[in-house]
Amino acid sequence: MDYSKQIQEIASKLFAENKIDYFVGYKQNSFDDSQVPFLITDPAEIPKLVFTDRSVFNLANYLKPDHTKRKRVGLVVKGCDSRALNLMLTESQVKRENVYIIGICCEGVLNEKGEKAQNCVECVMPDPVVYDEMIGTPTGKREYKVNVDIRELATKALEERADYFESIFENCIRCNACRHSCPLCYCAKCCLDQETSTLYHGANTSSGAMHALMTWSLHLAGRCVDCRNCEKACPSHLPLHLLHKQNESVIYENFQQHLAGMEKDDRGAFYKYSLSDPDDFIL
Amino acid sequence: MARVGVFVCFCGANIAGVVDVPAVVQEAKKIKEVKIAIEYKYVCSDPGQQMIRDAIVQNRLTSVVVAACSPRMHEKTFRKALSDAGMNPYLLEIANIREHSSWVHQKDKKAATEKASDLIRMAVAKSIANEQLHEISVPVTKRALVIGGGIAGIQAALDIADARIPVTLVEKSPSIGGRMAQLDETFPTLDCSQCILTPKMVDVASHPYIELIPYSEVIELQGYVGNYKVKIKKKASYVDFSTCTGCGTCTQKCPVKVPNEFNMNIDKRKAIYTPFPQAVPNKPVIDAEHCTMLLKGKCGICAKFCEKGSINFKMVDEVIEREIGAVVIATGYDLWDPKPYEEYGVGRYKDIITSLEFERMVSASGPTNGVPVRPSDGKVPKNVVFIKCIGSRDEAKGIEYCSKICCMYTAKHAILLHHKVPDSHAYIFYMDIRAAGKGYEEFVKRAQVETAATYLRGRVSKIYKKGDKLMVRGEDAQIGQVVEVEADLVVLATAVIAPKDNPALARLLGVSYDKYGYMSEAHPKLRPVETAKAGIFLAGCTQAPKDIPDTVAQASACAAKVCGLFAGDTMKKDPMISTINNEFCSGCQNCITVCPYQAIVTEEIPLGYGSKEMRTVAKINEGVCQGCGSCVAICRSMAITLAGFTDTQIINEIVAI
Repeated sequence: MDYSKQIQEIASKLFAENKIDYFVGYKQNSFDDSQVPFLITDPAEIPKLVFTDRSVFNLANYLKPDHTKRKRVGLVVKGCDSRALNLMLTESQVKRENVYIIGICCEGVLNEKGEKAQNCVECVMPDPVVYDEMIGTPTGKREYKVNVDIRELATKALEERADYFESIFENCIRCNACRHSCPLCYCAKCCLDQETSTLYHGANTSSGAMHALMTWSLHLAGRCVDCRNCEKACPSHLPLHLLHKQNESVIYENFQQHLAGMEKDDRGAFYKYSLSDPDDFIL
Repeated sequence: MARVGVFVCFCGANIAGVVDVPAVVQEAKKIKEVKIAIEYKYVCSDPGQQMIRDAIVQNRLTSVVVAACSPRMHEKTFRKALSDAGMNPYLLEIANIREHSSWVHQKDKKAATEKASDLIRMAVAKSIANEQLHEISVPVTKRALVIGGGIAGIQAALDIADARIPVTLVEKSPSIGGRMAQLDETFPTLDCSQCILTPKMVDVASHPYIELIPYSEVIELQGYVGNYKVKIKKKASYVDFSTCTGCGTCTQKCPVKVPNEFNMNIDKRKAIYTPFPQAVPNKPVIDAEHCTMLLKGKCGICAKFCEKGSINFKMVDEVIEREIGAVVIATGYDLWDPKPYEEYGVGRYKDIITSLEFERMVSASGPTNGVPVRPSDGKVPKNVVFIKCIGSRDEAKGIEYCSKICCMYTAKHAILLHHKVPDSHAYIFYMDIRAAGKGYEEFVKRAQVETAATYLRGRVSKIYKKGDKLMVRGEDAQIGQVVEVEADLVVLATAVIAPKDNPALARLLGVSYDKYGYMSEAHPKLRPVETAKAGIFLAGCTQAPKDIPDTVAQASACAAKVCGLFAGDTMKKDPMISTINNEFCSGCQNCITVCPYQAIVTEEIPLGYGSKEMRTVAKINEGVCQGCGSCVAICRSMAITLAGFTDTQIINEIVAI
């Protein structure tokens, strides 16, 4: 999978036609074969743009800041990234006319060890769900499977699981990198930063971290698209996907097989109210 | 420093029988902020309230906790006591130690006492964070909407309109009149149903304060008490009512014949029809499902013969809007379909009919000109068996409740049968005879004595055919024997059920309904006319099975409620509603999708102080907000606060235990 040429062509075309102010893509890292997000305003830098199976980050995150929100942006998205972008569009965080979306039919990206990443192995939607221009051949939606780690955890005893999570939360340093790296954590003022949120205080204790991470994952329940930007950003290398994948599997089972961001104007499982919702549990 | 007063109620033995009230008071006194804690037999009584008022003044209290029954019972009472003592009424907090403790933990008195103390600790902690709130005043639109044009809707509309309040009456079918128009004579006085109903129907049509919209349905209701906006879909009638004179030529000439639902499908009507001769408005409509012109584009005979040119095949459904302040729901009832009674041969034997079919037959204006006949051969029946409780009081096949009117109308049917066919005999199989009502027991006696109807106590187990007769086998429990009756005609007293559209309508209007589909009243005894949604009232069988006198009484009660609501120009509204801190709002608009009252809209605010760039945030319409708190729960950035239930208050409560 190497779409660098196509992306460079599209970027030059967009700048030439004055359709965009910014272009967000990937650039080769200077010290190893990994890539970093790359935001350009000058067409002279276009040759540096690349896209291979090392283009791991979710670039939709770069639409969050105020200065990009109000500019016309050209953006490279993979299948999962496009689902996040879809939710950002639905939740009025991005204006559709402000973003030119280059959707990639993704063949899966690699993890640090050079293997196909877990979320790519389990990917349900490799094709972009929203785009202006598509690169590659779409392969369609795939069957949903419960995450392998979640299945393994479910076989363990409750105490064992509790100890395992305790050890995870102990290592959280509350740097909030997970939040900043998530394209769907765009709140003007995060609940974890508010004075009234006394329950989340207690900074670097494991219970403080538990409250913070649990709250955070519940705010992403039914919205998380499994791009794993948070895990890539975490300096403590916490397996944050466990929280999200657990929520996802419960929601898939109980909310009519709901998967986040797959459809236009779908707000996620918890944010809908419909007359046809079952209400037989209400007294 | 907070100074809290705690008042613990015995509620007679209701609370004190289980909870150790003096111990609870001692426990409350240990809380640092509590300046005074008193027990009293009935805090809601006048001396009890006086005690609160005195304590507020003497101890300079900053908030009050009443530990008593549910806030649904007496929150208003105690709020008033606070404001009488010069205190903001919203500084009151109620600890519900009756429903939440003494009633539910009767077997464990110690635990109940501990729980009561915990509930008081929580209430004290919350009350310290309570803020002064002030009632909101909203304007009122003085127009009522009545849904359903049966006797309930007619009576409610007339009573409201007589108080010079404009009414919009919406009826689903082409004419008002409802079920009562189908009846022949009514119990217990045997006066002719149509003779007493049609003058009221005409009054509705000619009343200057009533706007009658027939052949239409309510499709949307938005807003809140005093300020609702309703959308009404006028179904295409294909007849221009403004020019139609109701001459009836079109109905005569129409070649299409379809079953007549007004006569319970016993005879046929045309595809262009008025439901019955006394219909109001007396203008025909075209049944689009059967009209050949509308289906195949051929025919149009009615249009050719119409002198006024009133027929317009291009007419389409029209949606109209009205601003209203209150709603009366009067959707009436349906009858239970007796198909599950296979052992009776329902569906196989033509001579088994339902009570309403019999009613149409004995009606002078009915399909058989007032003479009951056997559907199989058209002969006049001599032996008629009436079977009561078909579907009602039947958990296995039908519904559990008693449909209330069947005992009475079956007695009436026996009398009517005797009047129309004097040499006939009526056999009535019954479970109980329920005749509670003015003149009702006497009426049943009259059926038993005057017409010599044979009342047989017991259920029918089987009906089978023998020649052209139906053999009805049942039990006579009074003699303890199986009896068989040879019948020419069998009439099933089928149960009254809620119209099948009721749940959909209830959801559309935002009122609750029970498992049978009947609309739920706010309180079964003390608020039988109101729904839980302010400004929406119930009349007639939409709430539960009722006879005509009860229905009319309830309809008039609705009118009194509507008039009371519209007595002033503005209404006071509870201030416990949501507010949005738009600094924190990220504009995701999820609160808008979860709000069941459409109370949240968007607004544009500057990006920063003095900035020319704008951003979109959410905004609460305080008139519409009911304070349910859905938006508060859904808001991730905690930008929404519900007055009276702030995060600080709730966290205080949690921390207190």
